[in-house]
Amino acid sequence: MSATLTAPALDGAQVKRASRLPRLLSLTSVAVAVGLAVSMLVESNTVMSLLTQAVIYAVFALGLGFLLKQNGMVSFGHALFFGLSGYLVGVGASLTGSVGTVVVLTIAGIGFFAFALALVIVRVPGIAFGMLTLAIGQSFYVLVSKSRGVTGGADGMSIEFPPRVFGLEIGAFQDPASMFLISWLALVALVLALSLLLGTRFGPLTEAIRENEERVRFIGFRTLLPRAVVFAISAMVTAVGGALSALYTGFVSPESLHWSVSGTVLIMVVLGGSRTLWGPAVGAVVYYLFRDYVGEHTTHWMGIFGVSLIAVIVLWPAGIAGGVMHAVERIKRGSGRHA
Amino acid sequence: MIGLQILNGLVYGSLLMIVASGLVLIYGLRRVVNFAHGSLFMLGAYIAYAAAQQFGFWVGLVAAVSVLAAVGFCLDRFGFRLLQDRDPLTVMLVTFGLLLVFEDVVQSVWGKQSYSLAAPESLAGTVELFGSPFPVYRLVIVAAGLAVAAALVGWLRHSRVGLFIRGASTDPVTTAMQGVNTDRLSGGVVAVGAALAGLAGVVSGPFLSLSPTMGSDILIDSFVVVVIGGLGSFAGAFVAAMILGQVQALGAVYLPDLAALLPFALMTAVLVWRPSGLSGSRT
Amino acid sequence: MTMTYALEAKGLSVRYGGVTANDGVSMRIAPGEIRGLIGPNGAGKSTFIDALSGRRATAAGSVHLAGRDITALGVVERRLLGLSRSFQRTSIFPGMRIGAQMELAASKIPDADADEVMRELGLDRFADRHANEIGYGDQRRLDIALALVGRPSVLLLDEPMAGLSIEESMKLARHLRELARHWGVSVLLVEHDMEVVFGISDSITVLETGKLLAEGAPAEIRAHPKVREAYLGSAA
Ligand SMILES: Nc1ncnc2c1ncn2[C@@H]1O[C@H](COP(=O)(O)OP(=O)(O)O)[C@@H](O)[C@H]1O
Ligand SMILES: [Mg+2]
Repeated sequence: MSATLTAPALDGAQVKRASRLPRLLSLTSVAVAVGLAVSMLVESNTVMSLLTQAVIYAVFALGLGFLLKQNGMVSFGHALFFGLSGYLVGVGASLTGSVGTVVVLTIAGIGFFAFALALVIVRVPGIAFGMLTLAIGQSFYVLVSKSRGVTGGADGMSIEFPPRVFGLEIGAFQDPASMFLISWLALVALVLALSLLLGTRFGPLTEAIRENEERVRFIGFRTLLPRAVVFAISAMVTAVGGALSALYTGFVSPESLHWSVSGTVLIMVVLGGSRTLWGPAVGAVVYYLFRDYVGEHTTHWMGIFGVSLIAVIVLWPAGIAGGVMHAVERIKRGSGRHA
Repeated sequence: MIGLQILNGLVYGSLLMIVASGLVLIYGLRRVVNFAHGSLFMLGAYIAYAAAQQFGFWVGLVAAVSVLAAVGFCLDRFGFRLLQDRDPLTVMLVTFGLLLVFEDVVQSVWGKQSYSLAAPESLAGTVELFGSPFPVYRLVIVAAGLAVAAALVGWLRHSRVGLFIRGASTDPVTTAMQGVNTDRLSGGVVAVGAALAGLAGVVSGPFLSLSPTMGSDILIDSFVVVVIGGLGSFAGAFVAAMILGQVQALGAVYLPDLAALLPFALMTAVLVWRPSGLSGSRT
Repeated sequence: MTMTYALEAKGLSVRYGGVTANDGVSMRIAPGEIRGLIGPNGAGKSTFIDALSGRRATAAGSVHLAGRDITALGVVERRLLGLSRSFQRTSIFPGMRIGAQMELAASKIPDADADEVMRELGLDRFADRHANEIGYGDQRRLDIALALVGRPSVLLLDEPMAGLSIEESMKLARHLRELARHWGVSVLLVEHDMEVVFGISDSITVLETGKLLAEGAPAEIRAHPKVREAYLGSAA
């Protein structure tokens, strides 16, 4: 509180930069503590596995949301990076015992692939981008489900992991309680890393490109490269989700590349709100809880999600995170006046 | 052999052309990329199937096209028109939500199995082409594609709507300045766009089969067509549809392992060369 | 004899399909000069600025900045060499804080001082506000501030006063004079407010249907029969 009261006296930007890091670190510790608490307090195995899945998809949603937040572009084909990551980890694990290296190489490789792809596709006018990503994702889906050799075709592929991965027993990745914590920590670390990245000039630059790309060029920045980098980062975060999923289930199927997966995660992003980094992750958790609840009562969840998607977009465009931020702002202003 | 494949490519290309021209119409007037277009195609096929069971193919065709035109009109009246001041991205997501709803409706009513719609008896025979029998019905699809193309060209050349849509696809700003009242035209135009999707769905029934994934399959191919052709360009879409038809038909025979990647490869190649598609300018 | 002009256009032509919006327009602007560019609506003034700043491809002609041929350069390079512009339709970053967008604009240019420019244009009190929360006149000045940060050698302003109150226009006009005198910035000013243009310009160019109609000191232009007939007749 005292920091905000003295702020006007100092240079605004300096204060913001100085207060950013401690705030981020304390939020991070809170997030870690929440994860620990949940993993200790939840006893039911069903709930735990639901939450684990939700957190893995939260990582995916974080990646997709990052693209929307920093680039203003909607991808309908991000399942490509999620599924491909799972397959690469699977194929890699069958070739070598050091799965840690495989995962790292997979994520880096997907980053390069996405970057090269982005150099071509981000030049396309905004609205065609969604169509393009859908078509690209789907061609890989068909490719993987039809090629029997390496990938096991439409039946999917079971992955044989060695006993130890990243210094942990493989069982730790496949037990919901411990995997929840691992995925949660990965999610928190990624949010922290992206926040730090956005605290550099890259943040305002990409935000400005999203707002008004032409004007960015008229203030002296090239825009193609930053946009391609945003796309590549987004794909890499998504790939982390894909790798976690492969480790957790020990199985990958072509379905993980299907456009409906991209669409589902897009719903999470919109529901959670893409104006903050953490919004899409919240959206993922809410989606899973909601689906679990609705799924018990009906088979029409696809239609229900269609209707809810439309309702959220039309009535509540900023999503859950937008609503929360709005409330926080109001509380802050309110208490500021009292002080 | 290759002659037959080229013919099959022509058949699929004609179907794509009908679907894609509906997309282009809606985009041209409303600046909306309609993700629900594939579901409209599917809905058309299933409605025709249901009606044909009772009253035959032709009644099915008329029923499907009329229902879809009505759906299109409502889509514009109660959807696009209310959302016209929103960001295009928002509207795109709304059409995506509609896609989910339509797919759910079709699956709830007809289940997940596939059906086949029989061609009308008068068109059920085969003719001898390149030394093998070729279904007459497929030639009818090509004829239907040509008829739709000719009708669209005629309509767009000689009407105010056409002037607007052609103008809008090349230069939205000046067209907007000319002050054409989009709202008065758009109900009809979106209805025609949706009816074309439905028509293509019906016509494809005896050629492809009816399944819950038919909508997304055709949606993806027609997106490729529209992106390659250049968003909002009819001429571009016609050309791209024919090219993609050939690529799919020949690819399936000569490069079966990579066939799925060919549309993607084609699209990437075109976009590297011309980021705004065939009809756009070179960089 | 050979003077280096801050900006020189030689025979610029721009076509939109069949319409020739600029037809062989030439212009020389000296360092520190304020040049008014007037002409009726549709005369091709904005197009000329687009061509100079690299936003539109030219069909013919060349552009030189401080003697260097920049015709082949893109928007970004031109800006980094010191050729900057504002927009007739306000072009800012609506969802960003004003301080943040100004800092971003300053970050690419050595020694650029965003805070100083914001103070000069009276934007410093909005530093923490989002650009879509401030008034129209302030947004217009933000557009100029984004162009001005880093002290370009040439500033192209497309109707900067449109939508400003008389008081605000006068203030901006004084500020432009100050810029030209103190920083040696050359200004190409497209403006409909004749009082302002004739008041602060060192010289004035008149365009009509894409062609150069006249050029000279304000007094000459005011007296020019063709200009009076074509343009001033109704406005002045
Ligand atoms: N994007 C465009 N496409 C086609 N014609 C244009 C475009 N922009 C401007 N024009 C035409 O070029 C001419 C000059 O326009 P402009 O440079 O905007 O004039 P001014 O700024 O002097 O009012 C006008 O006839 C206008 O209609
Ligand atoms: Mg103008």
